Amino acid sequence: MEKHEKQRVVTPEYMFFEAPRTRHFITGSEAASEAVRRANLDIAIAYPITPQSETMQRVGDLFGEGFLKDYYRAEDEIGAFSAISGASRTGVRCLTASSGPGLMRGLEVIASWPGHRLPLVFLIMCRVINAPLSIQPDNLELAYMLNTGSVLFHAENQQDFFDYTLAAFIISEKCEVTLPVSVAVDGFFVTHARGWVEMPSAELKLPGRDCYNEAVPMIDNENPPIRIARDAPIQKSNFISYQMHAAWQQEIHAAQERSRRWITRYMGGLLEITNPDAETIIIASGSAVSQSREAIRQAQDMGHKIGLIKIKSLRPFPVQELRQACQHAKRIIVPEFNCTGWLNREVRATLYGHTEAEIADGPRVYGGITMPTEMILEWLLDAEKGGQ
Amino acid sequence: MINSKPYRVVPGPEGLLPPAAATCGVVLPEKGEGLVLGSLQSEQDTLLVMARELLTRKNPTIFPGPLVLWAWKEGVAEKAASVLELADEIPGVRIIPMPDYRPIYPKIDPEAVINPCHPNLTIWHNKIEVCVFVGVHCHFANITLKMIRAGTNCYTITLCHEAGHEDSMASLPFCGSDQVRALTEAIRQLKREGLRPRYADTPGIQLTPTQQTVLSGLAWQHGDGALAE
Amino acid sequence: MPKRVGSSHDKEKVHKERRFDMALRTLNVAPGFMRFMPKEYQDLVEKGPFGRQIKVTDLGTFKEVLEEHPMCEGCAMAFFIRLSLAALPNPEHTVMVGTAGCGRLAISQAAIPFVYGNYCDTNGVATGLKRGLQIRFPDQHKDVVVMAGDGGLSDIGFSQVMHSWFRKEKFTTIMLDNEVYGNTGGQESGMTRKGEVVKMAPLGKQFEKIDMLGLAQTSGVAYIARLTPTNPSRVFSTIRKAVLIAREVGPTYVQAYTSCNIEYSIAPEKVLDDARQVEKERYGFVEIMSDEAKAYLERIDAESKA
Repeated sequence: MEKHEKQRVVTPEYMFFEAPRTRHFITGSEAASEAVRRANLDIAIAYPITPQSETMQRVGDLFGEGFLKDYYRAEDEIGAFSAISGASRTGVRCLTASSGPGLMRGLEVIASWPGHRLPLVFLIMCRVINAPLSIQPDNLELAYMLNTGSVLFHAENQQDFFDYTLAAFIISEKCEVTLPVSVAVDGFFVTHARGWVEMPSAELKLPGRDCYNEAVPMIDNENPPIRIARDAPIQKSNFISYQMHAAWQQEIHAAQERSRRWITRYMGGLLEITNPDAETIIIASGSAVSQSREAIRQAQDMGHKIGLIKIKSLRPFPVQELRQACQHAKRIIVPEFNCTGWLNREVRATLYGHTEAEIADGPRVYGGITMPTEMILEWLLDAEKGGQ
Repeated sequence: MINSKPYRVVPGPEGLLPPAAATCGVVLPEKGEGLVLGSLQSEQDTLLVMARELLTRKNPTIFPGPLVLWAWKEGVAEKAASVLELADEIPGVRIIPMPDYRPIYPKIDPEAVINPCHPNLTIWHNKIEVCVFVGVHCHFANITLKMIRAGTNCYTITLCHEAGHEDSMASLPFCGSDQVRALTEAIRQLKREGLRPRYADTPGIQLTPTQQTVLSGLAWQHGDGALAE
Repeated sequence: MPKRVGSSHDKEKVHKERRFDMALRTLNVAPGFMRFMPKEYQDLVEKGPFGRQIKVTDLGTFKEVLEEHPMCEGCAMAFFIRLSLAALPNPEHTVMVGTAGCGRLAISQAAIPFVYGNYCDTNGVATGLKRGLQIRFPDQHKDVVVMAGDGGLSDIGFSQVMHSWFRKEKFTTIMLDNEVYGNTGGQESGMTRKGEVVKMAPLGKQFEKIDMLGLAQTSGVAYIARLTPTNPSRVFSTIRKAVLIAREVGPTYVQAYTSCNIEYSIAPEKVLDDARQVEKERYGFVEIMSDEAKAYLERIDAESKA
């Protein structure tokens, strides 16, 4: 019996919480492809760009082994993303991925997925956006993703990359959500480095996509209505009201909101807090969280108690949870791997009027620089001293 | 925790562009619950509210969508029958279908259909002040409900096969034929308890003028149903 | 009494097919609801083309899938679209893909699922649609038909068109060639003839009309045709062949001269004269099919006669 033939379907709850797990020391690319192996995926479409190629190559190998039903390498990102949007309309479970300039190239298509109510999973292995060009990590591209309407998770490490990818398939297909879910990870730091990942058996797989229980009909001629132009009509005349388009856009954001309960259920919440009583708090997402953990450990050795808020879901953003967590904070720093400080802006916009804490404007590194824990420590201790 | 006033989903017209209820903190009900004006209620309380509105407001109308209009799989015929049974209990009710979601051009006949591109035309033209959506895909139901709340005073009721609708005034999730029948029962219960329906003197389903024209102009008659048995 | 709709209409056969063909179940009105359905739907259910083989001579005797459209007076494209939709061998198992342009104004109003994404993406979307349908319904022919303009296919959509051909994706691409970007007010496109003065080409177009037929040949497209709408029978048979061959042999391409009488200032009553003239001068009927395609057509012809 082939390996994929040995797989049996289990509920998401069993896969995520109950199935016994074994530990493996693997790269992020391997972790993501192991998630795909268990995801009961139908089709993946790939296009090479560092540092996501390894993951999609491995997904190609999974296709060769029979774990997926179809897979091919497209001519560019626009071609890949357009084809995946066609596939998703027919009711099959879909996956694609990109990084930095590739994401930017296909951004028109990415931005159109939510409005077309297309369940799919989009893996983002963040890398510097041109110009200047670099293949190294920097997550500026997530600033662009924030406004697309996609649900967006930021995985910290290899374990998260595995878990969030599997959860993403299930959340994206929930009827009241029916949206693409993007799982981002900082390239190289996670994709090419090894970490411990606990995984359930490869003989388990998620249930397949139940496409007739979603927010829109499938384009397959097998479900009503037969006369179906499902995509938003371009409103050229005033009889097709502009209000319909506005209502459609509102519905996308409402659908994003509705994913909160599923993120809570399957991912343990939109954020995670360590040392919640601390007066000095680090708010971070992605691999900046890992760097922050080490900085906090060192700070604690020096006698400082620092809180850490790990943001898991960027869209929907954990507004209420963050306000609750920062109620008594006096100082906040936001380490991140991009130049403009998009997380800093999200934090400030969320906390304005809801905290008396001073929010530092950093620390930030970009262009591929790794964030030394010393830098975080410096900002922490500066913050504690009341300076910046 | 900062407490903001909970958003109430009440009949409009609310204005040019009211927010989507889900973005104002209204959450979807679980199985066994319903939503009334944005607050969670028990299923039974929700049904009674729906029943009262259907019996007392002007020009009650049922809007069946593609999932109940077309007998495409097992169980649809039964659900369709339960919707017709419901209609029979609402005096003066009309049934105007939403047979598809395409942008009808140049304009719809508001007595023949309701369409998610411009539902207000149907509501205004027929002066509908209470309606039930059943069998409409959730995305199209949601945009329709938002527009109705923005521009009309119609009380919207949804019997949703999936998770429910925050943007309607009363909504029940996970509805099959049983829940439709439960609504019919709730209507009967209110009548037994003495509620006199607004249109008590004109029982039965009313056809719109267009529907009457089509019915009398039909070149063929096979009774009910698409094809002869 | 119901009017007979022509010798090809066998109601009992249609009834049986509607019972058993999953797709046609989406055309079974639920019991009790027929009297509330709008007239157009009653007609579509009773007198539509689904489950039947329509001939060009049947036009005018059945309810067409195209309900209505806002195209200009004299638009050759509208005429061509109407013919093409009627010619589809199995509209109940067909998905149309369109894009920005004039064509989608009509195609979106047909009783055939229609997909409209971003400008340039028709052939990528069609690739995904075809592959997805193949996964879910491996035993059922699902026809995916791209119908878009010259701008959408030879300019902005060029890469996706060519690569879908290189990959030998099995769907039909139909170009509605009005030799201009009509929907946006008449700008030069890749398929505009050299020397034509149109918007964005104030000194006349500087390079030749793109040879999409030649490119289709180089790419190994299995069936290639070029025609004008002067002969409805020919439109019918060309479209039918293109859709059938794409089922099993490979990609197919049909390029149709569908003039924009507005941007090229052709009086509505002269549109067909113009089409005949253009056909004579430079847009004559061309049909190139691979041996495999030819053999396939012969086989299904024989099977249908048996």
